[in-house]
Amino acid sequence: MARYGMVIDVRKCLGCMSCAVSCKMENSIAFGVFRAWVNVAERGDYPQVRRHFLPRLCNHCQNPPCTWVCPVKATFYNKADGRVVINRDRCIGCGYCIEACPYASRFASPTVHTADKCDFCGHLLAIGEKPACVRNCLGQCRIFGDLDDPNSEPSILLAENPVQVIRPELGTLPKVYYIGADILTQAQGRWE
Amino acid sequence: MGTPEISRRTFVKLSAAFAAGAGLSLGLGTDLLNLMKIGAAEAKELSQQLAGVLKKYTACAMCPAECALEMWIKDDRVFKIYGNASCPFNDGTACAKGAAGQQLIYSPDRLKHPMIRVGERGEGKFKRVSWEEAIDFVAQKLTKIKSEFGAESIIMDAGDVTDRDQYYRLFFAYGSPNCTEHGSICDTPRRHGPKLMLGGKRIEPDIMRPVLVRQKNGSLQYDKQYRTKLIIFHGWNPFVATRITYEGRGTVAAKVENGCKIIVVDPAHTNTAAKADMWLPIRPSTSPDFFAAMLRYILENDDPTRFDRRYIDWGFKKFSLGWEEFEASFKSWWNKSDPINNLPYFSLEWAENRTGLPKEQIAEVAHLFGITKPAALVWGMQSPGHNYNGYVASILGTALNIITGNFDVPGGAIDTEITKASKGGNATGKHFKNKKVKRTIDGKEIEGEVERLHMDAYGDWPAGWDEVVGDFPRRFLEGVTINYGPFKGHKYSIKAFFIRTGNPIITGSATYRWKEALTAKEKNGEYKVPLVVNIDSLYLETGMYADVILPEASYAERMSLSDIYPPHALLFLRDAVIKPLHECKNPTDIMNMLAKRLADLGDKDLKASDFWEKYKSEEDFVDEMLAGSPGMFNIGEPLPYPNFPEGYKITGTPESLEAGKVNINHEKKEVKGELLTVKWLRAHKGVAVWPMSWNRYRRFDKEKLEYVPNKTWPPTGSKMIEFSFKRYEQYNKLIEASGIIPIGLKQLGWERYPQSFYWFETKWNPYTNPEYAKYAKDFPFQIICGRVHHAMSGTQLVPWLAETPAEGTFMPMNNAFEYEIGDADGKGQIQPKRNKFKANSWCVGTMAMNASDATKMGVKTGDQVMVENPLGKKTTTKVFVTEGIRPGTVKMGFGTGGRFTPGMGGTYAQRNYTPNHNELVDPDNLSPIMGMPTYADMIVKITKV
Repeated sequence: MARYGMVIDVRKCLGCMSCAVSCKMENSIAFGVFRAWVNVAERGDYPQVRRHFLPRLCNHCQNPPCTWVCPVKATFYNKADGRVVINRDRCIGCGYCIEACPYASRFASPTVHTADKCDFCGHLLAIGEKPACVRNCLGQCRIFGDLDDPNSEPSILLAENPVQVIRPELGTLPKVYYIGADILTQAQGRWE
Repeated sequence: MGTPEISRRTFVKLSAAFAAGAGLSLGLGTDLLNLMKIGAAEAKELSQQLAGVLKKYTACAMCPAECALEMWIKDDRVFKIYGNASCPFNDGTACAKGAAGQQLIYSPDRLKHPMIRVGERGEGKFKRVSWEEAIDFVAQKLTKIKSEFGAESIIMDAGDVTDRDQYYRLFFAYGSPNCTEHGSICDTPRRHGPKLMLGGKRIEPDIMRPVLVRQKNGSLQYDKQYRTKLIIFHGWNPFVATRITYEGRGTVAAKVENGCKIIVVDPAHTNTAAKADMWLPIRPSTSPDFFAAMLRYILENDDPTRFDRRYIDWGFKKFSLGWEEFEASFKSWWNKSDPINNLPYFSLEWAENRTGLPKEQIAEVAHLFGITKPAALVWGMQSPGHNYNGYVASILGTALNIITGNFDVPGGAIDTEITKASKGGNATGKHFKNKKVKRTIDGKEIEGEVERLHMDAYGDWPAGWDEVVGDFPRRFLEGVTINYGPFKGHKYSIKAFFIRTGNPIITGSATYRWKEALTAKEKNGEYKVPLVVNIDSLYLETGMYADVILPEASYAERMSLSDIYPPHALLFLRDAVIKPLHECKNPTDIMNMLAKRLADLGDKDLKASDFWEKYKSEEDFVDEMLAGSPGMFNIGEPLPYPNFPEGYKITGTPESLEAGKVNINHEKKEVKGELLTVKWLRAHKGVAVWPMSWNRYRRFDKEKLEYVPNKTWPPTGSKMIEFSFKRYEQYNKLIEASGIIPIGLKQLGWERYPQSFYWFETKWNPYTNPEYAKYAKDFPFQIICGRVHHAMSGTQLVPWLAETPAEGTFMPMNNAFEYEIGDADGKGQIQPKRNKFKANSWCVGTMAMNASDATKMGVKTGDQVMVENPLGKKTTTKVFVTEGIRPGTVKMGFGTGGRFTPGMGGTYAQRNYTPNHNELVDPDNLSPIMGMPTYADMIVKITKV
């Protein structure tokens, strides 16, 4: 049993978009849709301006609204490992979950024609590898591991740093935590 | 289907399948026990995906950083791309571009077979031919050119610098000294100071971690500690422009883990500025002004008795030559008044007026740099590398790092060019240039080495030691005149231009000038440059102007080495991880084929023993390249090899050196271990790492009980740090002997290259150069350009990268279009697919403009504008409005727009409304010492379309 989660140290995000492309490479994602991406926002007026990056992916919520609306129970919170996953054989592509996700993390796959989203690269976890976005992250800001293991890298970071989650008021209990993302956790969509 | 848990047995089975196919150890053994539980559907998918996967270690070549990669190969196809965790350069990471490699390798737009032109140059009309036919066509022409005009009439431009040695070897042997790569259109002014003063090229902060370091107990350990306390990035944007991969990772890690402060001086709020503590939006083309004010402030306010004014570490004087003259020459300007503002040179007020930055801010940066140690001052490609007077900035920057005690200290400023491993050796064939040839000049027969026929070094650019690609078009039209050396007075025309993986039509100064030079004809209707050969994996714009196109194996299909930017000896293999696709061939095969055909046609200079019999495979060639590696000196602290004599040159595998399996030659001061080979690298995940050390310019003298210069390093003439520019002496001697002043010096009104600090103004900057002040009213914007890492000349055909916006100059702002791209099919393959792309879904070249300027002009993001320079040249672009750029400055990406080759994939469809910045560059304004195009010096007016 595990409870996989991610800590993203936004202070170390270079805005390089390696996560977005590495994910597409790993999961063979077609043009126009993303399992992982980076929000970019500019705040302030010249010269007191700052560009902010917020790396994004499915939050793997412990209380995931997307799963409540699935009419065929194709998407669910996998208690064995803490991932929110989609059983593609069951998914009928109705799109309810896509609408229900408050984080715009889901999309209709143009290639497999089901709902699609990040699954923490389950196939890589199975052979002891980390998700592709974590592995390739140029700033090494994506830290992945078992949140139930107090000695895992993300657990240590969670213990030592103030962290944020996106839209905590929704009560979704995301398992993707951010360090240093204070002003961006309300951001939506891809580009501002 | 539910999610029945997979049994342990199934796991073992599928993992065994994975491992069995690997051929290399996957390190899975004990990991099997840690496997998480997955559903049957995933397990099935996984076993299908991973059956027969091979893990191979190689190096990228999509940018010059050439990161070490781990590619997963299935059925001889690249299936996954990750960073290679065994290589400390990129430490297991891979950028968006590196990860997108599949879409380049399997692009439907790649060159697939040899072709010969059938239409006019530029029309892009070719017929498919066989390799034999193409090679014969080229060899016949080369044979004729050599006999009629001499071998020097041929230029081999190996473009993007990677994997060029085979082509150098071929053409050096053929008899031309004119082999080059893109360096001279990259950033030569930026490299100038380090070359003069250190024998180096580029100064980078010491932030590559981990680094392998000798410990007190004799063992080697990876050191992960960041020591840098301050980095000033001046016109240098490692996060987005050319990416020295560790610099991004190291900058944020030094900041978070070591409290390092980051200052970015740049007219644009780059992604690097996004992580800075201070952003100083300096006026473009004023880098030397900023550095000169820093140096003056530091010299005027340094006080060794006050802890908060102890800027200068005067110890540097012991390890350097010529400081007094340099200082005197620098100070001689202090009382002179600058005609543009009537202020004394290099004063804070003067710098404020010229850079547009508050003088308090300039003083603060100078103070912080003086007081914070270790620190690094780093300057970049964009500025001063692309400025007419960038040389001055790079000399001042180098001096600032040295006098503050930051040069080569832990956490300080390191010149990576002179710390990296040596490679290439005899494979490059430089010795062929020593061959004596005869030429008849004014009726007299003259004999001299091939090298002395060099079009730049003995032509118009004696100090253009990286060659002068930006001035090729002029020589295509006017020919070459040798001004120096034994062949003085010899004239020759350029009769063949080989361009390999470069694209000078878009990147080598003004596009229109290159087109003009490559299409100009003689009276008899023949092209002035009668043979243009393009060797590439991709069909770029320059290919449209070629007579013959030879398809080269992509970086996944050929073998070579990577080593460019590490702060110590570190080499990694670029392996041929798949067989060449289509009819592509690797550089070794192309070299051998052409050499053999030339020999068959009677060329005695190309011998079997130098080519096809010597190099039966790529591996033979790369093994020879490796023979002198790492070629490092046993110097610095901690001493890399305490068991070997200090100061000796070291070659051999890390393993053999560590085991002491070496021969020591005291006469030659050499320690030789077992030769590094491709085989060794393959057995070590493609990577060889030798120990890092610091303070490599000094040794401890046990008699004097003090540090003294080791006279081994840095590799200047004196093996000391040189503030006197002794390197220039050789060029001054040439001028002395010949009496001809080089064109660049004439522009400056100089007769010789100076011996110490010098100053001259940039052109096309109305705010610093009085002669150009008159343009300010009608051309109110300064235009700068910056590289967008994922949108370089040869990678924009990659659709995934069209989804990675950057900095307001590469944004999802396309018009709707339809195009066939290579797209991911959901099953791990790239397949051709006709797509309808909505507006604003594909990143295109755009121009960033300050919001207040946009308001004044009544333009908003997405509006189309025309941008025109005082030479009447224009380009069009959409505007991206931002607060993140200095008012009065606009910025475009380099090579991001106006891409008119169909080889650019979907980006080709955007050619009519995206900007080609290089239509605006002044091709006659080459920087005066090394002939670099001044990409960042231009002013424009902007009108809404």
